[in-house]
Amino acid sequence: MKNSCSSILKLLEKYFDQEATDKERLLVESHLQDCTACQDALKSMEELRALIKSPVEEALQKEDFPWVWQNIERKIRLQEKQPWWQSIRSWLDISPLFKRKVWIPAVATAAVLLFITTQIIFKNTSSYPDASVVEYVESKTNNVMVYDLEKAKVTVIWLFEGPEEEAIPS
Amino acid sequence: MVIRGTRGGSNTVMKRVAPLIIFFSFLFLFFTSVAFGQVQTRLRVIRASNVGSNVDASLRDVHKDLGSLFSFTSYRLLRDENLNLSLNQPFSISAREGRIIMEITLMGLHRSVAELKIRVTREGKDTFNTQIRLSPGRTVLIGGSKVRDGVIIYAFSANF
Repeated sequence: MKNSCSSILKLLEKYFDQEATDKERLLVESHLQDCTACQDALKSMEELRALIKSPVEEALQKEDFPWVWQNIERKIRLQEKQPWWQSIRSWLDISPLFKRKVWIPAVATAAVLLFITTQIIFKNTSSYPDASVVEYVESKTNNVMVYDLEKAKVTVIWLFEGPEEEAIPS
Repeated sequence: MVIRGTRGGSNTVMKRVAPLIIFFSFLFLFFTSVAFGQVQTRLRVIRASNVGSNVDASLRDVHKDLGSLFSFTSYRLLRDENLNLSLNQPFSISAREGRIIMEITLMGLHRSVAELKIRVTREGKDTFNTQIRLSPGRTVLIGGSKVRDGVIIYAFSANF
């Protein structure tokens, strides 16, 4: 190593990091032509960089940046709270189908169908919001008792039979 | 950049479309089940007696409820079924080799209340008729038919 090497070594790192001025760069390059020790020092810096760079690059390739970006986008969206009507508009604006406003007649048709269906279904059913559990009970052969245990939500219908025995249901 | 655009775009669309699909699926399932007028009802056939003191674990609720009315010491579960009742389609269970028949018919639906008609015939003759309204959490017990040293109790409960 020459006498000037110590001063060049200080500049070598700046030169290596491409932070040296034009003057410094020329100084280093002229020195490097004649000094093998500084050439070796530069070479070892390059090797060290390569050694560090390759695993970092591999890790970067494996990293799922689209996913990260989606998360960032989501967080931005959450921060920028849209009014509800704009949210609905943007939500409906998700496909060419919706963009063509096909959803308007589709939703209208679905609503009409639902309305007709519910009318047909509930037409055959009676309305009895406050009616009792037992609508009627009749027996020509037995006395019948109806008892409501309201607390337990249990209704008991009891038939008082004669002596004749009934078999267990099959 | 191409990968990011494609993957991110499809994911975003799927995230937006998925709730729509789920919502309409539930709507479809609800309306098809209601449209076909089907209701699931649990029927337990129980023999209550004063012979022994065995109460089946699944009948502790019945034992507790009937305790204030009757003094049976034993409750045995003979049958436990989930009846899939359709509107105006009678479902029958029989006893004594078909001489006694209990016919259960779903007569109507009103929100979460099912209207059941229960008819008991003995050798072709009507012996008992009732119409009950079953709602979730409600149990209707029909009992009194004598069998050997006890009685038969039919416990209807909503399963919808």
